Amino acid sequence: MALYNDYKDRADFLTIYVREAHPTDEWQMKSNEKEKDNVCYAQPKTLAQRVAIANDFTQRFKYPAPFGIDPMNNAANDAYSAWPERLYIIDEQGRVAYKGGNGPFKYNPQEVRDWLAARYGQVKHLETPASPDKKS
Amino acid sequence: MKPILKWSLLGLGIALVGVGTGLSFMAGSPKDALGMVRYALPYMHFGNLKVGSVAPDATLVALDGESRFHLRDRIAGKPLVLVFGSFT
Repeated sequence: MALYNDYKDRADFLTIYVREAHPTDEWQMKSNEKEKDNVCYAQPKTLAQRVAIANDFTQRFKYPAPFGIDPMNNAANDAYSAWPERLYIIDEQGRVAYKGGNGPFKYNPQEVRDWLAARYGQVKHLETPASPDKKS
Repeated sequence: MKPILKWSLLGLGIALVGVGTGLSFMAGSPKDALGMVRYALPYMHFGNLKVGSVAPDATLVALDGESRFHLRDRIAGKPLVLVFGSFT
């Protein structure tokens, strides 16, 4: 979300929720288990189920970026070969300007940041000075 | 059994064990390796889109579960960053 916060005035962002990567009824990861991240969902079989999970996600993380859900025909996922996760940048003429690698290993938000920085400049964050210890 | 067949089967067995071990190492465990082969590999595609390709349109559903919009309607005078993913 740092990327979104840094460049939301210069670029539009759209998060697209696609089919689950590690649902409980397929290849569940240990890190998703209840005792850890508590992200336990079966692969949605209906749009309503997919919408419910998407809402859980956005509410749990107070997700600020615009959001869309791929319908059950997985049209967006198929068109962009997106599964399990991928980044793209579409330019103002509606053409692919950046195509990221397939996640998880080739998913690289830094490449998107570099693309945006090359066009709009680096966003620098001021370092807040450390506050002195206060003793009561 | 003919020796060549025996050696071929042995070689195949060793290759399978090697691939299985490699996948298990990559995925984290034999169970994860099986999950990866069964559920991930069929869905992971490089895709035909390249830099310069016309971005495909798609109809998406809003969080209210009812409203729909076109992906291309979000292209409006600025670059559009698409973040594809899921919760798990």
